[in-house]
Amino acid sequence: MIQFSKIKKIYLTGSQALKALDDVSLEIKKGEFVSIMGPSGSGKSTIMNIIGCLDTPSEGEYVLDKENVSGLTFDQLAAIRNGKIGFVFQNFNLLPYATAWENIELPMLFNGKRAKKRKERITELFEAVGLYDWRDHKPSELSGGQQQRVALARALANDPPIILADEPTGNLDSQSGIEIMELLSGLWKEGHTIVMVTHDESIATYSERTIQLFDGKINI
Amino acid sequence: MRLTLVRFFLSEFRKRRKKVALITFALFWGTMSILLLLAFGQGLSTQFRVSFSGLGQNLIMIRGGQTSKTYQGLPKGRRIRLYPPDISYLQERIPEIQIIAPESYNNMPVSANGKEINRMVHGTTADFAKMRSQIPQIGGRFFNPDDVKFGRKVAFIGWNVARDLFGDANPLGKRIFIQRVPFIVIGVLQKKLQDSMYNGPDAEQIYLPFSAFSQIDSQYHIDRIHIQPLSVQHSSLIEERICTLLGNKYRFDNTDRYAVYIWNTIENSKEGMAIFKGIEIFLGIIGVLTLLIGAVGVTNLMYAIVKERTQEIGIKMALGAKRRTIVTQFFLETLFIFAKGTFWGFISAFNLVNLVRLIPMNYDNFGIESYLLRPVFSLQIFIVYLIIVGTLVFLSGIFPALRASKMNPIESLRYE
Repeated sequence: MIQFSKIKKIYLTGSQALKALDDVSLEIKKGEFVSIMGPSGSGKSTIMNIIGCLDTPSEGEYVLDKENVSGLTFDQLAAIRNGKIGFVFQNFNLLPYATAWENIELPMLFNGKRAKKRKERITELFEAVGLYDWRDHKPSELSGGQQQRVALARALANDPPIILADEPTGNLDSQSGIEIMELLSGLWKEGHTIVMVTHDESIATYSERTIQLFDGKINI
Repeated sequence: MRLTLVRFFLSEFRKRRKKVALITFALFWGTMSILLLLAFGQGLSTQFRVSFSGLGQNLIMIRGGQTSKTYQGLPKGRRIRLYPPDISYLQERIPEIQIIAPESYNNMPVSANGKEINRMVHGTTADFAKMRSQIPQIGGRFFNPDDVKFGRKVAFIGWNVARDLFGDANPLGKRIFIQRVPFIVIGVLQKKLQDSMYNGPDAEQIYLPFSAFSQIDSQYHIDRIHIQPLSVQHSSLIEERICTLLGNKYRFDNTDRYAVYIWNTIENSKEGMAIFKGIEIFLGIIGVLTLLIGAVGVTNLMYAIVKERTQEIGIKMALGAKRRTIVTQFFLETLFIFAKGTFWGFISAFNLVNLVRLIPMNYDNFGIESYLLRPVFSLQIFIVYLIIVGTLVFLSGIFPALRASKMNPIESLRYE
């Protein structure tokens, strides 16, 4: 599903070149649940951004779902993000002015799904995360756990094969964190490929495999 | 762009539009200024045309003068006078003349109703009315070719003459005495604006058939010849031909501008129209500048909004928004902001113009108000305005929108 071959990412800060990723090669198979761990500055975020097509590698090849995404334009990448990848962020990243319903609807607006289909899908997702009664509330009126569940529902809106979770429990209390992890595990069991960044060992135990990053390289 | 997305952006805009009140006012003010300036500018032009045509429509007038150059051994300073046969002389030789009429006048005592006044009395033919905007009030008429042919004692009078002699009573069919000769009033001039004149405004004049005038006046020469060309393009040509023909007949140098005076109102009005067009454009530019201040405000606001929503932009990009989706959103937002301000500006300007137009016009005291009180709100102004606003919306919206769409999604997501 996800194939990195000799990916390098170099950031230029002033006159200095910073190697965020150095010759990273990895493969994540369809249906795997992988967590990526490592200290700050080890390149966790960079690897997530590249997997999520938010960033492009400086060198190397990235094949996502049999498609080489290295040379694609911004709009082509946007279409991939929209259809193949669902993002779950540490700080939820919900639109503050929009209701829970509208937040979940947004990815479907970007690919032009019909109103009736959208309504069906949103209702289904609300029921899956158990927040149907909260559909007309804004993010500021929801608890952290509820917000993350809305965010998870939004990530699933277009039924993407891959879920990218960046510290999904980082801003949550332990109870809410467990609920989120259970939802993610459930999705994995349904066949989604899940890639999660965390530095919490106990959270990482939910995954099948852990990739350790250190100074932009994979520690095996 | 998909309609649902537009609806979504609109609802987003509604939820956070608090900041735009001041800018809305600036746009309202700018729109009102630009529309009012254009309307008053066009009003000026229109009123100029109307009042200029108070004298006549496409009129060339000839009057006798005095030679200022020697010619074929003749001295300068000779008096040149026009005579009735000159009418047919010119008409036969200049085919571009559509109508031609003589006019003679003299100051005469006029009495009726026990009142006596002195007024300028004119003799002319029926065609004169067409050229000099002599439109009768309801119930009356100007004299016709038969009146002229048979020398009928009928008179067409200005509305001030009517008022001075008859007060509020209807003068039609009444008798007035000119040089103690009785005439029947057959028409009173309808009120009109007139900014160009000789011997005072037409409101003060009395017109008689040329033949009848000749019976009470001893003058043989005629004071003026009025000509209307077939088409306005011919006016300069006709002017030249008149000089040559009269020069041949009365033996003066056809380049002598003082031998006969020619008043070419067509050329005059062209100049006048150019001046007023200039004023109109100038006023329009001032209006555009006023609205430009509002537009600059909108650009500023949009940059601030884009910055404030950096994180939202990042979220939308992560969820699969394309660049043009982001451009569309901020562009639409600019449009919404403009729409409100300009809508109310438009309504206000429209109503103000119509209100001003309700102020009645004073036809006797011809002053500045007759130019200012008739603003015009035309389709032309509306189209010009739409083009200006469209350009401003585009210019003030496109740069902030492009900046938003070019943001880096990762940095935007991290922005707090």
